[in-house]
Amino acid sequence: MPYSDKVIDHYSNPRNVGSFGKGTPGVGTGLVGAPECGDVMKLQIKVNVQTGLIEDAKFKTFGCGSAIASSSLATEWLKGRTVEEAAKIKNTDIVNELKLPPVKIHCSVLAEDAIKAALQDYKEKWTNAAAEARTGAS
Amino acid sequence: MNDYFAVFGLPRKLQLDPEELRRRFYELSRVHHPDFHQGASEEDQAEALSASALLNRAYRVLRDPVSRVEYLIALEDGRETREGADARPRAPVDLLEEIMEVQEALQEAKAGGLDEVSRQRLSEERQRLMARQLAEEEAIAARAAEWDAVVVGPGDRTALLEWFKQRLAARAYLRTVIDDVSDALGQGEERHVSHRRH
Repeated sequence: MPYSDKVIDHYSNPRNVGSFGKGTPGVGTGLVGAPECGDVMKLQIKVNVQTGLIEDAKFKTFGCGSAIASSSLATEWLKGRTVEEAAKIKNTDIVNELKLPPVKIHCSVLAEDAIKAALQDYKEKWTNAAAEARTGAS
Repeated sequence: MNDYFAVFGLPRKLQLDPEELRRRFYELSRVHHPDFHQGASEEDQAEALSASALLNRAYRVLRDPVSRVEYLIALEDGRETREGADARPRAPVDLLEEIMEVQEALQEAKAGGLDEVSRQRLSEERQRLMARQLAEEEAIAARAAEWDAVVVGPGDRTALLEWFKQRLAARAYLRTVIDDVSDALGQGEERHVSHRRH
């Protein structure tokens, strides 16, 4: 199956591969998988608790080229967004950007799931800290 | 469309007699075998060929107890591994974490050129994972009778369906990571070609 140039670019030169150290403040982690193919994807965001902006994002994906490209693209898009804006990223945006064929749409779904899971994890762990940081600052 | 059970005239049940299945397979193989349709019209020949292909596919899936479960559960769930389907089963996070760890260790070992020590470690890991996969398969097979009873009688079908989906998903993750480790060790299984990564 021919991959689009953008998939090949992200696959051969993935952005933001890696992970944040355990206990890094403001980090939310999403760990998801696709049972159809056994792919696993870990996506992390690092949020500045004072501004609510996603300062950094990292991923590790063990899967096909499309899954790697989808998560690599997701980390690029996440940086600089607020948590609320990040929640608006849809798998269809990824499909369009990477020109994924129908059989690879589930890879983009996986990336959207990973984003949601990371945001959820961030909220559970850091929402209180973020509120405190803002009251402290005002 | 004929489901694989209907191909053999069998009820949609997880428990079946392998001997009976085999007997029906040979019987039907003779009926549909292209060699017996050589004098027939082109249309009939094409039909026999596709019937024969369907029969072989059906037999391959149904004779293996786990792929039989996989097939029937997908059938009952009404979404035969359709791409982009929603409501996918969520694997337990600790399993995903474990798979992630194995994959990371594998990546590291590969980057380090797979020396004797790391090969040994991966080999042990592979054994351990294969034992886990076998345990999942046995757990799945052990509840086949329960499913068959629920299909015709009272009982919580939905909960059992969910249970099967979860276990099948867990097995799928294990199978993939085992494949990846096997590939790295040059011990790829001949029983199936890596079903992904294309």
